[in-house]
Amino acid sequence: MIEVMKKVLESAVDRLQFQITTYLPSLLAALTLVLGAYLTALFVRWLIYKIFKGLTIDKFLRQSGVAFLVDPSGRLRATRLAAESAYWCILLGGVLLGLNVFGTDLTTQIVQGFVFLLPKLFVAGLILLGGTWLGHYLGRSMLVWAVNENFPTPRRLATVVRILIMFVAVVVAADRLDFAKQVFLSAFIIIVGGVVLAGGLAIGLSGNGVRRFFEEKREQSRESNERSLWSHL
Amino acid sequence: MATSLPEEARRAADVIRRADIVIGIPSYNNERTIGHVVRAAYAGLAKYFPQLTAVVVNSDGGSTDGTQEAVLSARVEANSLMLLSTPLLAAHRLTFPYHGVPGKGSAFRLVFQMAEQLDAKVCAVVDSDLRSITPEWIDLLIRPVLFAGFDFVAPYYQRHKYDGTITNSIVYPLTRMLYGVSVRQPIGGEFGVSARLVKRYLERQDWETDVARFGIDIWMTTLALAEGYRVCQSFLGAKLHDAKDPGSDLSAMLQQVVGSVFNLMEEYSPVWQKGSGSTPAELFGFRFDVGLDPIHVNVHRMEDAFRRGCEELGEVWETVLEKKTLSAVRALAAGLGKNGNGLHLSDELWAEVVLEFACAYRRRSLARGMILRSLTPLYLARVASFVRDTENLVASQVEDKIEQLCLTFETFKPGLIARWNGNSGQSEASPVELGAVVSATNESKIGGEK
Repeated sequence: MIEVMKKVLESAVDRLQFQITTYLPSLLAALTLVLGAYLTALFVRWLIYKIFKGLTIDKFLRQSGVAFLVDPSGRLRATRLAAESAYWCILLGGVLLGLNVFGTDLTTQIVQGFVFLLPKLFVAGLILLGGTWLGHYLGRSMLVWAVNENFPTPRRLATVVRILIMFVAVVVAADRLDFAKQVFLSAFIIIVGGVVLAGGLAIGLSGNGVRRFFEEKREQSRESNERSLWSHL
Repeated sequence: MATSLPEEARRAADVIRRADIVIGIPSYNNERTIGHVVRAAYAGLAKYFPQLTAVVVNSDGGSTDGTQEAVLSARVEANSLMLLSTPLLAAHRLTFPYHGVPGKGSAFRLVFQMAEQLDAKVCAVVDSDLRSITPEWIDLLIRPVLFAGFDFVAPYYQRHKYDGTITNSIVYPLTRMLYGVSVRQPIGGEFGVSARLVKRYLERQDWETDVARFGIDIWMTTLALAEGYRVCQSFLGAKLHDAKDPGSDLSAMLQQVVGSVFNLMEEYSPVWQKGSGSTPAELFGFRFDVGLDPIHVNVHRMEDAFRRGCEELGEVWETVLEKKTLSAVRALAAGLGKNGNGLHLSDELWAEVVLEFACAYRRRSLARGMILRSLTPLYLARVASFVRDTENLVASQVEDKIEQLCLTFETFKPGLIARWNGNSGQSEASPVELGAVVSATNESKIGGEK
């Protein structure tokens, strides 16, 4: 009995020893890598904040409207954006390296999957960001134009423009990610077809109203009394 | 970016070789009026500068109505002018189509290029749609440059109280506040320019921007003021002319003019941040009262446009205006029409709005064109308010009101500088002081016209 117990204990200790000798160095190495990545990320972020003022990029962000897209107050600074991006990229890289140290099928699969997906994710993200920016820009342009032209329901028009552009961006991003391609494509075709049909019906059914609107506008611009005011700077 | 003189113009310049005076007349389908302008220019040259050589250049934007033929066929009988001295040389007359972006600025560019090519001492430009131009205008635009050492002569007109609303409510007060010189008609359209200032204009690289269109007038004036050229004004009497560009809409016109002002504000920020207050530019000419074309306005339509703007453009104005200014604007719209109240947009609130738009334009809180176009409903509100406030006033009283607006702009300059340079820059005026009240004026009789 004692002999059996001794054997069991010895095998348990052996297993533990084996596991420790097998996985602990990997774990320690992984932790070291993550820690190293964390420290590097901290340092790089500090460095960027310290030395990289990003004046030119700040200007670009403001001019392109990205600053106001990400942060509506417009206070987004390139320095912060660059520093935070570098921080999270390095940290993510450290975690992936740490996982890779274990060399198991599962971790290798995770790392590989992520690495292969990363460029697609990046491109899809860019497409969504670009779509959001374009949607905002064109939506607002439509809004201002419709208000100045005294067009009916300007805000609805702007919203339609925004939604359409965002939807196009989502379809393209999904296509990049190979995610439910057919579903998005079909939905896109249905929606565009629907919009065209609705537009055609609207014009057909309310043709008189549309014509009246444009005639009124033309009449207004013809009215010489108003023109005399606006044609003199 | 630099455009050379068109071949046709170069050949003409080679033949003429030299001229003391160049008169430029930009045109586009002005057959009806341009003959009169050319005759006035000819008579002015013959009467006041008989000893100098001169060229009248018509810079045309591709007219299809016989404008160029009208220029070449315009005749002046020398006998009818009762000249004291006979001109030594007849003035040349040229007409060319200009190249580049269609607009008045591109037309001016060709005139300036001709002036430089001909080594002219002075260049004057006059609009081709003028009905009130007389030979004296040529004298008044040229003499200060030739004989008093000025570089830039701006016009000073007598205008109807509702004429020139962009000038009166934005361009004049803003230019005066920024550059410290009171030029009453900074975008008048008629100017006299010295050779050295012509050279400076042609050195610039921004001819293809809004400067090529309606922005040209304020661009010329601002450059002269900001770069320290000697600037004066000449009283020309009344300015009666045809509609400038019936096809162009207010929003586009506002965008071009105000955009040019804001662009130049950016460029010359080190200059305008230095001074405070203003002094009037020297004024030449004999002032007299004249009859003016009546101008009819529809105040209700402008108020409706403002109310609509307030309802719809909140998301745009939120990124442009400060909270308290936006609240004041919204309060105005909310009170509009209640108990028959008319719109009263105070000088203080209007100055705040314009200056905050300038700062938003600088920091590009939105696309710049969008910022400028979203100003239209607010501008209409200001015009409507101005019309209501001045409906019973005579010209001199209206001028006093414009003067008051200019002084208000000047008091806001320190706040503008702070805001411009990224400091909080909040002005100390409260929303109540900013005029967030709707006056209890009765419905305007003028506003009822339709």
